[in-house]
Amino acid sequence: MSYSKENVESIVNNGISRRSFLKGLAASGVLSSFPGGILQANEDLNTKIPYLGEKSYQTFRNACPRNCYDTCSIKTYVKDGVMQFIEGATESTYTRGGCCVKGNSYVKRVYSARRLKFPMMQVGGKGSGNWKRISWDQAMDIIAKKLLEMKKEDGTLLGAALTKYSGNFGITHYGIEGMFNSIGYTTRLAGTPCWPAGIDAQNLDMGDMWCNDPEEMKDSKFIILWGVNPASNSVHSMKYIYEAKKKGAKVVVIDPVFTEAASKASQYIQIKTGTDGLLALGMAKIIIDANLHDQKWLDANSKGYKEYKAYLDKEIKLDNVSKITGIPLAMIKELALSFAKAKPATIWMGYGMQRHTNGGSMIRAIDAFVAVSGNIGKYAGGARYGHLSTWGFNYAALSQPKPEGSVGYTGPEGAKGEFAQVGGEKAAYTDRFLNINKTARELINAKEPKVRLLWVACKNVFAQDFDRNQLIRAFQQLDLVVVADQFFNETAKWADIVLPVATQFEEYDVNVSYWHYWLTLNEQAIKPLFEVKSDLEIAAMLSKRMNQLQPGSCTFPQSVDTKAMMVKEFNPGIYEQFGIKSWEELKNGPVKAKAVIPYADGKFKTPSGKFEFYSDKALELFGSALPTYLEVRKPYDKFRMTSPHSRWSLHSQFQNLEWMEDVHPEPYVYINPEDAEAKMVKEGDTVAVFNKQGLLRLKAKLTDNVQAGTVLMYEQWYNNNIYNVNELVDDTSSDMGAFKTGAPGVALHDTFVNFRKL
Amino acid sequence: MQTTSRLDDVKHLRDIFNAQNSKELKVAFDALNSSIIISEEDLEVQFNRYFVGPMEPIADPFASIYIDDPDVVMSKSTLHVRELYETMGFTNPLKNIIPDDHLGVELDAYYQLLYLEEAKEITYLRELRHYFLHEHLSLWVPRFIARALEQSEHDSKAMIFILLQLKSLLIRETTTQGVTA
Repeated sequence: MSYSKENVESIVNNGISRRSFLKGLAASGVLSSFPGGILQANEDLNTKIPYLGEKSYQTFRNACPRNCYDTCSIKTYVKDGVMQFIEGATESTYTRGGCCVKGNSYVKRVYSARRLKFPMMQVGGKGSGNWKRISWDQAMDIIAKKLLEMKKEDGTLLGAALTKYSGNFGITHYGIEGMFNSIGYTTRLAGTPCWPAGIDAQNLDMGDMWCNDPEEMKDSKFIILWGVNPASNSVHSMKYIYEAKKKGAKVVVIDPVFTEAASKASQYIQIKTGTDGLLALGMAKIIIDANLHDQKWLDANSKGYKEYKAYLDKEIKLDNVSKITGIPLAMIKELALSFAKAKPATIWMGYGMQRHTNGGSMIRAIDAFVAVSGNIGKYAGGARYGHLSTWGFNYAALSQPKPEGSVGYTGPEGAKGEFAQVGGEKAAYTDRFLNINKTARELINAKEPKVRLLWVACKNVFAQDFDRNQLIRAFQQLDLVVVADQFFNETAKWADIVLPVATQFEEYDVNVSYWHYWLTLNEQAIKPLFEVKSDLEIAAMLSKRMNQLQPGSCTFPQSVDTKAMMVKEFNPGIYEQFGIKSWEELKNGPVKAKAVIPYADGKFKTPSGKFEFYSDKALELFGSALPTYLEVRKPYDKFRMTSPHSRWSLHSQFQNLEWMEDVHPEPYVYINPEDAEAKMVKEGDTVAVFNKQGLLRLKAKLTDNVQAGTVLMYEQWYNNNIYNVNELVDDTSSDMGAFKTGAPGVALHDTFVNFRKL
Repeated sequence: MQTTSRLDDVKHLRDIFNAQNSKELKVAFDALNSSIIISEEDLEVQFNRYFVGPMEPIADPFASIYIDDPDVVMSKSTLHVRELYETMGFTNPLKNIIPDDHLGVELDAYYQLLYLEEAKEITYLRELRHYFLHEHLSLWVPRFIARALEQSEHDSKAMIFILLQLKSLLIRETTTQGVTA
């Protein structure tokens, strides 16, 4: 052997040996003799101080920007420019030092070999799998030229469409919409597949969507987790629920599925899917009849209680409620009465419940029940759904003016986003809004001009939008599809150009939650890997190229620094709300907004200023002033199929990582044993699940956690697995959503299928 | 084998794995004198399917994938190679951007170390070169080659040629020249 392993390792790892080795190296002429390549001779070689063998940690503040209740505050440990591990910030009483399993995998996500690394172009046509590397300059040149060509031919940029949603909820990420604002009037996929029906319901009732601080739940005396499964999907909230329970509170889970949260509750009530609104109306009738309603609060703070009560008296028959919901009447009575007697009592409503054709009406009915019980405006009470009360940033990245002379859409004004509603000046033109929940058909049907370019950011369209087969047709008819993402997902497969995007650890940003009340700084902790860029930098590069080709064609800054852009998002209102003088204080850790109890002052932002059982707006928009019982969508096939969130993923994110693949390697369809027996399906059998939209093949798991008559599949994107639940989900709308988010939600849990053993 | 050829072989393979576009890749590939006729675009499309992406490539060109963890880069072996480079007197302008154990970067280091010995007759780093070859490159490059060859497609003569050139280089370096030179 011409080397000694021990000797070399001693030179590399032992400080004294390395110093003397480097002294010899400097003297040997090595440094001036290297031919040079990627690696260069180190002219500043330090041969004086012994190498200590261990480089020290630097720490950075980060936030989990995913679409999750918990929006964790993170502390990141970096050594020699490489992330080593992360932990939950201890300064936040909500995150309290721990992330979820998905968050804890962030190091593996950042350094995943599967990340998109370079801008690339698909040269053999969409879906061909033939990819070429292109430089960022080439990518921007192709996109800029296409945009300018479309503008010349169409006279507008309405042929350019943007679909962006919740892949990253950092405030500066609204710069993606800012990029589209800055080129002219364009087409936007507007609305939200998430929670719009519930947002409308709460706004009709209370003039806002504004929930109590979840940390108060520790002092609640009665908690109903209604169609929500925090044990899987808001794990940090569970400690407050456990604490309340430990102090004697009753925790009841109402859900069609026996969830992890149900397993931790005092009581689980399995309800027939889509009948929750009726249950709430029945419960309200019960407590009013028992004289346990809060008449004083109702007199002072509500509008239309009389009409509401008259409706309950006339239309709600308790025997029917029991029959339709599938819950024994005695159990309903016990639940309603014990809730009414406990003060404070609260209900947390999940987002799945409003993904039905009667979803908004169900949220309205539950709001009304909480109001009747006198728990609105109370500490540790409330009808909890979500809030945006800490989102009052400047939206500087979003707010870009149109280029002079821009021509746009002259149809009726459409939509907004639910998070960043920045009022612009009234203009002669608007953008064109297409319903995000009908993306496939809207892209296909848009005319004058037709959509020719689609930019996808912070979103995996194929995993999250409905009717996959129609989506493929929609993508194939587009001239240019640009997908900016971190991973090669199914949407990227149908792209012409993919652009590699930075993770939150590679850029600055600032984050708040739609559930808790903490504010977290997100610092750049590491250099961007390979050729990845932040969405803001991409926008700046596009602006630069467009302005080179046609001066004045894009108003977005031509160079940006994500830190400077993040700083611009702060304002005195945010500082006041969070009790800080400067954003720099956030380097010491996250801070919480000053405590406030929603509606404690009895002021509602409804037209009447009161809680509206009777809403003229609801009558005008949705045909019913009162929260009434609306029957759910009629079945069009044998079994209902629901597609809730999985604990191993956040929508289409995280499931592709090694840790998640280890514990949850493949999708299953969960079937009630009774239904399985009728179809002669056994545990582990491969079954075909099919309906008029499409067909999926996957393994069956038998469990009575799901009701007979219903099958369950999680919505997820698997790496290297063709499974996509949206093969089966159509794009039927839920009842509400158009009021506040621009488009109705989607009734994705009102999907019906059949299945057979293969 | 000529000294120049030994050095050139490493250099051309290095340039193949560090190419940033079709043109650079084709120039480096043609320098290997394969007699395979292939267009710039086809060569790159195949190369990307094998080693780059954006879809999961057949064989990732990072040591950590074969030594530490099949799914991640920038792990323990990457940092070990970083320490080696620093001890060899290198500085890496792409530090923390391209993982230090990317095949192109490792071939670059190996080429430069070989160049010191072959062209400049400086042997100060020879022991480190041998360590790098036997204790690092030999641990993963054969596995990388085997994985890529196992799954090679019939139409990928150019990729098979590149892999066999790499294999042959490694065998030569670790057997005859690597020890006796």
